Amino acid sequence: MFHPFVLPFSIGFTVMLVVLAVRYAYWLRGLSLVNRKRCLANLFSIQTLRGVSEILRESLLHLKIYKTNPVLGFMHMSLAFGWFLLIVGGKLETWYYTGDFANPIYYAIFFRYFEPVTSGFWMNGVMVFFMDFSLLLVLTGLALALAKRIRKKLVGMQNTTRHSVGNRVALTFLWLIFPLRLMAESATAGQHGGGGFLTASFGEWLFSGTWAASFEVPLWWAYSFSLGLFFLALPFSRYLHIPTEMVLILLKQWDIKQETGFRPQKGLQAFEVHACSSCGVCLDACPGINLAHDAFQASYFVKAVRENREVQSLATSCLNCGACNSACPVGIHLEGLRLDCRSQIFEQSQFNHSYLPVPMVLWRETTEVILYTGCMGRMQPKTSIAFKALLTEAGISFVHIDEKAGVCCGRPLALAGAKDQAVKMMTYNRDLINGHNGKVLVTTCPICYRYFSEEYQLDIPVQHHSQFLWELMNKGLLKREMQTLKLAYHDPCDLGRGSGCYEPPRNVLSAIGQLVANQKERDKALCCGNNLGSLSLTETTRQQITAKTVEVLTQNKPDYIVTACPLCKPTLSKQSRVPVKDLAELLLLTKHHAKGHPVSAQQYQKILDS
Amino acid sequence: MSVRDFGYSVSDQRAVDLDRKMPDELERVYLQEPSLRNCIACGNCAALCSAGSFTGFQFYRLNVLVSRGLLSELAKKAEACMLCGKCQMACPRGVNIRHGIMLMAQL
Ligand code: SF4
Ligand code: SF4
Ligand code: SF4
Ligand code: SF4
Repeated sequence: MFHPFVLPFSIGFTVMLVVLAVRYAYWLRGLSLVNRKRCLANLFSIQTLRGVSEILRESLLHLKIYKTNPVLGFMHMSLAFGWFLLIVGGKLETWYYTGDFANPIYYAIFFRYFEPVTSGFWMNGVMVFFMDFSLLLVLTGLALALAKRIRKKLVGMQNTTRHSVGNRVALTFLWLIFPLRLMAESATAGQHGGGGFLTASFGEWLFSGTWAASFEVPLWWAYSFSLGLFFLALPFSRYLHIPTEMVLILLKQWDIKQETGFRPQKGLQAFEVHACSSCGVCLDACPGINLAHDAFQASYFVKAVRENREVQSLATSCLNCGACNSACPVGIHLEGLRLDCRSQIFEQSQFNHSYLPVPMVLWRETTEVILYTGCMGRMQPKTSIAFKALLTEAGISFVHIDEKAGVCCGRPLALAGAKDQAVKMMTYNRDLINGHNGKVLVTTCPICYRYFSEEYQLDIPVQHHSQFLWELMNKGLLKREMQTLKLAYHDPCDLGRGSGCYEPPRNVLSAIGQLVANQKERDKALCCGNNLGSLSLTETTRQQITAKTVEVLTQNKPDYIVTACPLCKPTLSKQSRVPVKDLAELLLLTKHHAKGHPVSAQQYQKILDS
Repeated sequence: MSVRDFGYSVSDQRAVDLDRKMPDELERVYLQEPSLRNCIACGNCAALCSAGSFTGFQFYRLNVLVSRGLLSELAKKAEACMLCGKCQMACPRGVNIRHGIMLMAQL
C-alpha cells in the first residue's frame, strides 16, 4: 500500500510533530519549579481526564465561542470537529478493513485511493456515510469562513483580525485541503465506483468520463501537497494555536499558577500567547475598537508579543477595562500579561514614598464603619456627603479616615506595572485602618475596593458602598418607596468584571425605581473611557469612548444614569444630557422625592447642604 | 557706550534659546507622550495632588523642567508621585500626566 503521492503529506506531518515537540519541551522547561512539580503530580489524575473533556468541548466543539456568537461558533465547530471526525473515522475505517490498528498514518488519509470500493456488512454503509457527512460538515464551515472573509457581518462580527502574509499562505493551504479531498475522492469514485452520498454523486457528475482518468492521481498529489504544506507551515503560523490551546487546557487543569515577570517566550506565557487563535472575539468587546490610532486590542497586542515586535504603545494605550479578558474563549490572562509587559517597559521608573509619615490615630472608640472614599472621592464630595447622610439615617456610626489627606490605595501604580512600589502607601493605609477600631471597611471607590479586598489582607471585611447600602435596606434600616423613575445603571469596570459585584447595586436601584436595560451590561459593560488602566490613550479617544458609552446607556431614555464609581461619574457627566448620579446620591434623593416630581438641581443642593 | 549691569539682566540659565537642541532623552519623552506639550501651567494638577499634600511635589513644575531641557533632578523629583490620577481628572488640557511621570521617572 504505497504511492509516492503520500510523501508530501508524510514529510510535512512528521516535520510538524518534531517541531512541536521541540518547542513545547522548551516552553515546559521554562515553567517555574513549582509549576513543573504540579504538572508531574497531576499527570495521572482525574484532572487529565477533565482536561481531555474540556479539549473536546472547547477545542473541537468551541462551545464558548458558540455561546457568544452562534454562527461563528458553528463555523469553528464544523471545521475543527468535522476534521476530527474525518481523522477518527479514517482510523476506524482502516482498522475495520485491515484488522490492523497500527497501519501507517497516511493510509487512513488516502484510504479511498487504495480501496475505492469497500464492502462489508451494514457497517460499511455507515462508515461510508459517516466519512462523507464529516467532509460535508468541514466544507460547510469552510464556506462560512469564506463568507466571513468577504462579509464579516454575515457571521455577526463587527470586526475581524487582520492577518499577515505568512498566515494567509497557511490559510490558503488549509482552505484548499478539503475541496481537494472532495475532488480526489470524487475522481476515484467516478473512475472506480464506490464513495458515499457526496463523493459518489460528485464523481458521477464530474469524473465519470474516460478523459477524467488522467486527473485522478494529480488530484491526490494536490491533496497531499496541500496537507503537507499546511502541516509544514502550522508551527510557524497562527495555526500553532490549535495544538497549543489543547496543551494550555491541560496545563490549566493541572492547576498551573500564573508566573511572575514578563517572559512570553517561555513557560506558561509562551503557551498563552501562542494559544490565541486571533479569533477576534476580543475586538468586538473592546470599547476602544476603531477609535484609537493604535489598534491596541488584545488580539493585536498578543500577536505583537508573540512575534516579538515593539509593543510599548499597544501595552500602554489599553484601558485595562477587562472586557477582552472576560470575553476571550481561550481564557488567556490578558490583564496579567499586559501588566507584566508594562512592568518590563517601565522597569527603570522608580518611586519613593518614604516621605509618608506613620499615621497617628488618637481616637480609638469602636465604630461600625470605617469609611474610605479614596483619591477620586475627594474630588466629589457629594457622593461622600450623601453616603454619610444615609449612614446617619440608618443610625450607623462611622469614621471617615481619609477626609483630610488621603494616600492612594496603590492600584493605579499596579496598573502602571509598578505594583511592588506601592508597598509604602499600602503600609500607611493599613496602619490607618488598623488604628481605627472598626467592624467593616466601606469604600465608595471600586478601584480601592478591588485593591483592598485582593491585596491588603485586612483583619476586617471590605465592602463597596453599594453592597453595604443593600444590606442596610435588607435589614430595614433604610426604607424607600418605589418611585416612577427610569434608571440606567453603568457597571464600573473594577466593580463588575473586576470584583464580580453586579447584583447589589441593581438590587438597590430596583427598590427605588425601574431599571432600564441596554445592550452592553454586566460583564459586557463598556468602560466609561477614563479607566486609570490606560496610560497613553489620548484625551480625544477617551472622549469618543465616553460618547459611545453614554449613547448605549441612554438608549431607553432613562431619567438618571446611575453608577457607583467616582471616576465613571464625572466622566459620563461631562457628555451626558441625562443627569449622572452616584448610587448613594440617588438613594438620598429618593428620600425627598415627591412621587413623580423629580427634584430640581437647587432643591438637590439644599438636600446635600442640610 | 558700555551697558551698565544693574543686576536685573536675564541669567544665562533662564534665557530662552529656541535654537538649542533638547537632550535626546527628553525628546523621547515628548515623542512618547505628546500631550505633555499641551500644558499651560495652570496649576490645577498641583492644587489637588495627593503627593503634594505631603511634599512640595508639583507636576507642572516638572513639566516646565522638561520643556526647558533641564534633565538633572527630574527623575528624582518624579519619584514622589503616587500615580493616583486626580491631576488628570482636573487637567483642562487633557495631559496624560501619569504617563508623563512614568516616563520622567525613567530618566
Ligand atoms: S485574545 Fe482571546 S479573544 Fe482575543 S483573539 Fe486571542 S483568543 Fe480570541
Ligand atoms: S482591556 Fe478593555 S480597552 Fe483594553 S484591549 Fe481589552 S477590551 Fe480593549
Ligand atoms: S492641570 Fe494640566 S494644564 Fe494645568 S498645569 Fe497641570 S498638566 Fe498643565
Ligand atoms: S497622579 Fe501623581 S501628580 Fe497626579 S495627583 Fe496623583 S500623586 Fe499628584
